[in-house]
Amino acid sequence: MIGSAGRRFILLLLSIPQILLAQNVVRLRLVDWADIEEMALDRTAIEAFRTSHPNIDVLYEPNPGQQYEEKILTGLAAGDPPDVFLLDSKLIPTFTNKHVLLDLEPFIRSQRIDTTQWFKSALDIARRGPHLYAFPKGFSPLVVFYNKKIFQQSGVVLPSASWTWDDYLTIGQRLTRDLDGDGVVDQYGAAFTNYYYNWIPWVWSGGGDILDSTGMSAVGFLNSAPTESSLRYLIDLRKKYRVAPDVGSWVQAEKTGINAELFAGGKIAMIVDGHWRMPKYLKYQMDGNLDLGVAPLPASPSGRRVNVMYESGWCVPVNGAHSAEAVMLASFMAGEQSCRIRAAGRLEIPANINVANEVARRDSTGMERLFVDEVPYCRQPWGSKIERFSEIEWTLQDAVDEVMLNDKPLHATMTRYASLVDNQLENIRAHESFEFKPIREHSDILYFLFGVAIVTIVGGGLMFVGARHNERMLLTKATGFLFPSIFHLTIFIFTPIAFAAYLSFHQWDLVVPNQPFVGLNNFREIFNDPAFWKALLNTCVYSMNVPVGMALALVVALILNRKMKGIGLLRTLYFLPGVTSMVAMALVWMWIYHPSFGMANLALRLTGLPPLDWLNSTQTAMTSIMIFTIWTGIGYQIVIFLAGLQGIPEEITDASRVDGASSLGRFWHITVPLLRPTTLFILVTSFISSFQVFTAIYIMTGGGPVHSTDVFVYHIYQAAWEQLRMGYASAMSWILFAIVMIATWVQFRIMGKEFSY
Amino acid sequence: MRRAFRFIGYTLVIILGISMIFPFLWMLCTSLMNELEVYHFPPKLLPTSFRWLNYGEAMTLQPFPRYFFNTMVVASVSIVGQLLFCSMAAYAFARIPFRGREKLFAVYLGTMMIPAIVTIIPAFLIITTFGWMNTYWALFTPSVSSVWGIFLLRQFFKTIPKDLEDAARIDGASDWTIYWRIILPLSKPALATLALFAFIGSWKDFLWPLIVTNHSDMRTVEVGIAAFSGLYQTDWPHQMAAAVLVMLPVVIVFFLAQRYFIRGITFSGLKG
Repeated sequence: MIGSAGRRFILLLLSIPQILLAQNVVRLRLVDWADIEEMALDRTAIEAFRTSHPNIDVLYEPNPGQQYEEKILTGLAAGDPPDVFLLDSKLIPTFTNKHVLLDLEPFIRSQRIDTTQWFKSALDIARRGPHLYAFPKGFSPLVVFYNKKIFQQSGVVLPSASWTWDDYLTIGQRLTRDLDGDGVVDQYGAAFTNYYYNWIPWVWSGGGDILDSTGMSAVGFLNSAPTESSLRYLIDLRKKYRVAPDVGSWVQAEKTGINAELFAGGKIAMIVDGHWRMPKYLKYQMDGNLDLGVAPLPASPSGRRVNVMYESGWCVPVNGAHSAEAVMLASFMAGEQSCRIRAAGRLEIPANINVANEVARRDSTGMERLFVDEVPYCRQPWGSKIERFSEIEWTLQDAVDEVMLNDKPLHATMTRYASLVDNQLENIRAHESFEFKPIREHSDILYFLFGVAIVTIVGGGLMFVGARHNERMLLTKATGFLFPSIFHLTIFIFTPIAFAAYLSFHQWDLVVPNQPFVGLNNFREIFNDPAFWKALLNTCVYSMNVPVGMALALVVALILNRKMKGIGLLRTLYFLPGVTSMVAMALVWMWIYHPSFGMANLALRLTGLPPLDWLNSTQTAMTSIMIFTIWTGIGYQIVIFLAGLQGIPEEITDASRVDGASSLGRFWHITVPLLRPTTLFILVTSFISSFQVFTAIYIMTGGGPVHSTDVFVYHIYQAAWEQLRMGYASAMSWILFAIVMIATWVQFRIMGKEFSY
Repeated sequence: MRRAFRFIGYTLVIILGISMIFPFLWMLCTSLMNELEVYHFPPKLLPTSFRWLNYGEAMTLQPFPRYFFNTMVVASVSIVGQLLFCSMAAYAFARIPFRGREKLFAVYLGTMMIPAIVTIIPAFLIITTFGWMNTYWALFTPSVSSVWGIFLLRQFFKTIPKDLEDAARIDGASDWTIYWRIILPLSKPALATLALFAFIGSWKDFLWPLIVTNHSDMRTVEVGIAAFSGLYQTDWPHQMAAAVLVMLPVVIVFFLAQRYFIRGITFSGLKG
């Protein structure tokens, strides 16, 4: 028998190797955008890595959804990026230009990483001269998915691998049919939206391009004959030949998933999409309306075939603590074993050639083979070469919308937009920074904190010193009550605002810590930007929803402010939008607003009115958003009005009732004045939040069509997070601040006369 | 005539009220569908069979019990903090006529006018400097006080008659006594409103908890809901099942508390 002390000693001895090992264990953080299903695959891949590298521990931090970029960028801004992260090829130029990514080339030699295992074109997307910045994970060209069922029912021959644009149109025309004979087309041959991602390979195939080969200029390219004839061909699919349904802009089409839904439901015969859609379409097949087939993009009249390669890869930041281990992990995640595990998800073509061929061999439908066969035709997208290219994309989408929705002439529009794009490109180049500075600790925020704290204390002290004796007493009392909130404000509000004020005179791209001083340049640029003025005007128009919504809310609140059966339930109903998920509400409303299938147009038709385009027309988009806002915001206003109505003592209303005042008179002379503080509160807060409207626009329109719903804060958001121009965004927020401050002051002057009884 | 008006009014309010429930019904129906039905065309309103399993799955695909716990912690601290700190500041702004009061209040209000999109980065830098990444501190400290709440309560405090306060002052009551014994009890509806919105605020917050947490054991419900929609596809049934479960407590709390909004004033010292 061993005593307990002895047992402890032995246990200690046994644990020594573990302790020693633990000290040598390197811990790495890996971040990607995997959704729930993909997460499981990546976990398995990471587990495999840990088994083969016992001295490296990997912390897996998936960040699914749309906010992935924000997450990575804030990590970089704080000097605390993950050790390995996934980057879409469209972010690569920004990150390489700012020198945030580690050059993997030296490690390829030292760790003997075999780069021939990957498709060269996928690998080269992240190559800059002799440097390599990402190991490719997977990629996809665009293909035509088609529904064999529709082809068979209509007796049309399936598309061949050598088909042309003419074939595409002819097939589209033969498959666009009114099946039930009610005069309304219910089956379409093809689909087309303004989505840049979707149409760019067509332009390339047609022999045109949007920019010259160096990516410096659009004039003479966007408005060249081959580019325009390709766009003409695509737009005519919808406008002239009507073989594609009106599904709105790509924002609405993507969010409601209407194209995919129509395709899966057997209402669209052919749809251009990437491999990432495969898992969804495969699932649809079980429903019985879809029998999936894949064809390459058709060849242009000149016989040319060009495709695009959308790729993503694993990157390592330049300032990580364990670069060598991180590179090991990144190359493993892109490597054969991991690609094989991930292949089960069928989201992409694995970048690893062996695995890609394996998948193609195993797939008896031949679809995977067809994807792999597209690789030689693939071209690197502009987005992976030009920084902030998403801005250009939006402009190009607007150009297509001008022709498709607003019936503008093609050549004149493309010429106008070509010079717009040139301005944007020039602007982008002017802000590119090629300086290299290693990321240091971002402790400067502490200086701001100290500065603001000192200003606050000194300000308070001055108030105190300048006061007379009896005022001092009041000040002392007030300070006691105000202290917690001032303390809180100083840290979490004043300091960030001071930082934003500092930034508005500087240029900062979040990723690199240096913030060069630019004086008033940001402000000058803002005032010279027509898009800014347009956004400002749009915001003012949008704010008109506040008085309308408030009047409606007050009426409802008055009715709800009674004791009657079921009133609690009714109140709860009005409160529902306040807690319902914004995404769900926006989605339901996007369906309501849908031009062909929506309830709004159904109601108009029933009352004999002509249908509207709602979100898809420059004339009605803003009004549609305003109606949505009133509907979602009314619950908030009602709750506060109710609380205000409850604060009106009953004896006052009772007394006036005894005096014989009519109910309207009572409302006008008693309720309205007594509600004034409440009304002022709702007015001011609703106005501020309507000037800061963002989420509804972000989800429902993305600022379109053609900037008609581009509002102030959406503009700021794009500047800050998409263009990575924090200084510019901060300057804009200060302008916003000034405008809202003045408007609030006016509201206080009009409404704020205190009323007491 | 008056009856007709009232009838029309009630009808409109009821119809509008029913329209409010549509997105919620859509969420509910979607949460009970299987994956294929969601993409049915024309869109299906009712699922063919109720797939209650979605709820169980949604809760286990991600550590939702943990998310609920985290969100509860954050919401509770925020509510207590806001009720206390906002009411204190509001008292000073509404009832103590100190010099520079209106100017200081303008400064407070002004802070609401800078959009969070810009201040989120410096606020994040502060949190990391404090070393609060992945902690509850990072989640609740920014919301333990709010200018919105101060403004709300100030407006309500201003409507409370001065007579009561004056009477108390003659009896020798200090400001703290007046604040605690007179103003707060008289402002129950306003305080309840603030508590409700503070609760909803922490419950629905998304971008901030996403940015200040890395590990799933520190995340909140809204981040969990968002995680069901990936870059290429959204798992609608599970996402909506989670969303329904997340919003239910709030709706129930409101349904029970709305009675309290009504009674609040009747119990106060104003009557008689």
